[in-house]
Amino acid sequence: MTSPITVRELSKTFFDEGRGEIRAVNSISFECHEGEVFGLLGANGAGKTTTLRMLSTIITPSSGSAAVLNHDVVTEAEGVRRNLGFYSASTALYPRLTARETIDFFARINQYPAARVDERVNYLIERFGITKYADSRVDRLSSGMKQKVSIARTVAHDPRIVIFDEPTVGLDVLNALEVQESIRQLRTEGKTIIFSTHIMSEAEKLCDRIAIIHGGRILACDTLANLRTSTGEHYLEDIFVHYVKDPSDPVIRK
Amino acid sequence: MNLRDIRILYLRELRSALRDRTIVTGSILVPIFLYPLILWLAYAGFTFVSGQSADLKSRVMLNEVPTANILLQQQFRSDAQIELKTVRDPQLEIRNGTLDALVEFFPEDNSSAISANFKARITYDESRDRSDTASSRIEQKIVEFRTKDLERRAGQLGISRAAYQDFWVESSNVSSNLQMVQFVLGLMLPTFLLVMLATGAMHPAIDSTAGERENSTWETVMTLATSRSNVLIAKYLYVATMSFTAGLLNLMAMIFSLRAMLAPIFSRNGMDVSISIPMESIPVILLGALLMALLVSAVMMILASFARTFKEGQSMVSPFYVVIMIPMMFLSAPGMEFTVKLALVPVMNVTMMFREAIQGIYHWPLIGITVAVELACIAAAMFIATTLVKYEDLVTGTYSGSFLKFALGQIKRRGPSPQ
Repeated sequence: MTSPITVRELSKTFFDEGRGEIRAVNSISFECHEGEVFGLLGANGAGKTTTLRMLSTIITPSSGSAAVLNHDVVTEAEGVRRNLGFYSASTALYPRLTARETIDFFARINQYPAARVDERVNYLIERFGITKYADSRVDRLSSGMKQKVSIARTVAHDPRIVIFDEPTVGLDVLNALEVQESIRQLRTEGKTIIFSTHIMSEAEKLCDRIAIIHGGRILACDTLANLRTSTGEHYLEDIFVHYVKDPSDPVIRK
Repeated sequence: MNLRDIRILYLRELRSALRDRTIVTGSILVPIFLYPLILWLAYAGFTFVSGQSADLKSRVMLNEVPTANILLQQQFRSDAQIELKTVRDPQLEIRNGTLDALVEFFPEDNSSAISANFKARITYDESRDRSDTASSRIEQKIVEFRTKDLERRAGQLGISRAAYQDFWVESSNVSSNLQMVQFVLGLMLPTFLLVMLATGAMHPAIDSTAGERENSTWETVMTLATSRSNVLIAKYLYVATMSFTAGLLNLMAMIFSLRAMLAPIFSRNGMDVSISIPMESIPVILLGALLMALLVSAVMMILASFARTFKEGQSMVSPFYVVIMIPMMFLSAPGMEFTVKLALVPVMNVTMMFREAIQGIYHWPLIGITVAVELACIAAAMFIATTLVKYEDLVTGTYSGSFLKFALGQIKRRGPSPQ
């Protein structure tokens, strides 16, 4: 069975007026398995967001290739987007729509079957506990409620792949736990999840496999147990430091 | 192009816009109320000022009124708008503004056939309105007096006016009252209509581009399972809808306001006519408004797409707003003719088309050229917009600068990245 996400020698170079060419992602390769939570762990500026933006077709790779459910991210961008939900803490909702209208809009535009949209919207409203606020405008909701609506709209079209780009950045502890719980629930539904974070504990709790990314390169990619064995370190923080301090010793297992 | 997706995106934009106070104000309330209100205020102000000016007495000093024409002095005295004064140094008083005019009478130099003929000299200060008005009033009074005096004398001698006045100018206006009204409307309405089309497009254009970035919803738009051209078309149609709506609402509001405002002015001048535009001009006006809405929306969206915040968007779009006003200022000159050359100039051509249509004039070849030119401009703007969407740094909002800076930057480094 082919992997739902395959990334081969993917690179991204940006041009900056002052600094010239900047290679944000440098020839990375990995695969995600069906139904797993795959973590991209790295410090700020490591290349996590750039990688996820390429996978979600927001930006195009400079070289290499990536495919989501066999749809190439460059040549079949719409096919990728139909099968993918993208969530980021930095993205917002349309403030002047209600929670219900928001979920309805994302379900329809992301090609969920029109006849079943109402049923899907009602299901998500109930599932994320936003029934009481379903018809309130988003700009009048609390940040916790907005977070729930945001996740609901990400999965409104029932995508097989869900990308979470640093989903808990800027959230308080309770809201961050809610987001983590939502990710767990989505995994139980069989979704394949790519999750980027710089918070070690989050990666430790949620991820089936972890890729340590630093300076645009993947330094290690394996299960937490295998990473522990390879490095002789127990805590993910120590494992991370181990690879980042000595990047000449990459351990990448597919 | 997927019509279903465009419809979903368009309705989302429209729904959001109709819940935004700034957009509702700029595209709906302002067109309905602002310009009619300004017109009302201007009319009321003008009426008030002219009333004040009519009530203002002119302070006049008469010097050496010929005794044979004492009747003229009596007429000055009995005029409620003239206050006769006697001062020591009239020149100084006029300069100081305490006297408005001095009238000096002299006997006619050469021997005149008319007994008790005279020459009058008015001294006044043209730099002061009140003094200028006084001069006009005096001149009018003397001319009226002289005309009546000549008629009276001629009558006594049994001579008709035609006999003693060999040459005079008589003018005859062949236009109907309605044509005169439509001529006035033709000068006023196109300017207001174009201003409103631009005003109606401005906020939606910024909101749908820079506003999305500022609200951090742009990245979400980029991950929607539809093509970017569908997103672009839906946004464009939304902005054009708001612009077109604003233009039409304003046009209707203006016609209603002008009906109430111009009717009394015309009736005061003995013209009993209702303010209206020809019914057959409506399709031409709608077509022109639609073309202008599409053009203005496209250009504004292109300019606003370089901005990352609403404020940046406003500063990028505002110059275009000014640019579009300049040709309209030239076109408010009454003598301007709709020619082939003018039909080739965007914005100007539509303004002339509006003006003529309101007057019931249809130069179909020129209208055809106008439509073709506007469509070409819209197509060019759309081409630029679709090309810009291919530039990743612009789409993701990492670029901030003007269109010119962007173009130069791209020429210096690389072409568009494929999307």
